[in-house]
Amino acid sequence: MKFAIALFSAAHAPSSRRALLFAQAALAGGHEIVRLFFYQDGVYTASNNLVAPQDEQDIARQWRAFVSQHQLDGVVCIAAALRRGVLNNEEATRYQRSAVNLDAPWALSGLGQLHDAAQAADRLICFGGP
Amino acid sequence: MSTLHVVSHSPFTDSRLASCLRVCGTEDAILLCGDGAYGLHNAALHTKGLKVFVLAEDMQARNVTLPDWADSLDYAGFVQLSIDYDKVNTWL
Repeated sequence: MKFAIALFSAAHAPSSRRALLFAQAALAGGHEIVRLFFYQDGVYTASNNLVAPQDEQDIARQWRAFVSQHQLDGVVCIAAALRRGVLNNEEATRYQRSAVNLDAPWALSGLGQLHDAAQAADRLICFGGP
Repeated sequence: MSTLHVVSHSPFTDSRLASCLRVCGTEDAILLCGDGAYGLHNAALHTKGLKVFVLAEDMQARNVTLPDWADSLDYAGFVQLSIDYDKVNTWL
């Protein structure tokens, strides 16, 4: 089974952890994840500047490790990311900003990638809210 | 076509579960997760005859008792449930 997963909430939301556990369970069950799409506040997951309190789980770091380890297609919505100050080197140069906080394994791209993933996958599963 | 409705908002602070119940078809099911697990206190879920599932750890974290008309799942069960139904609609 091919899954596409869209995440609408930031890493500190419980729904982000649920999405991660779902994604891990999907791979463990022998399924394929065609793409992970991070939209709206979900783009904060990809920011390199997040620092989780020491007594809390660092879900953003767990996402990064998960995407890297399984070489998944982790796409971050470019419009949602720019308005939230999540920029890769190219965008920081384009808009003359001093900070870069997005790098591999994340990729900035458009909403079309969510549509494309929904077409390619058997199931699109969205996570967001509390 | 069957749909799995995923609800993560508490029914005591939000109307999503009530809205979900209004549009649920006879072949649909509801998966409660997060604060949505408090929906197990809502007997209306049962009286409509819908299949009701809840994420076990979210239910246990809130000390909610599993009624005999609902089933609890782990994440492997959640993945399987998303396959068993044609569409998954998350009430974001």
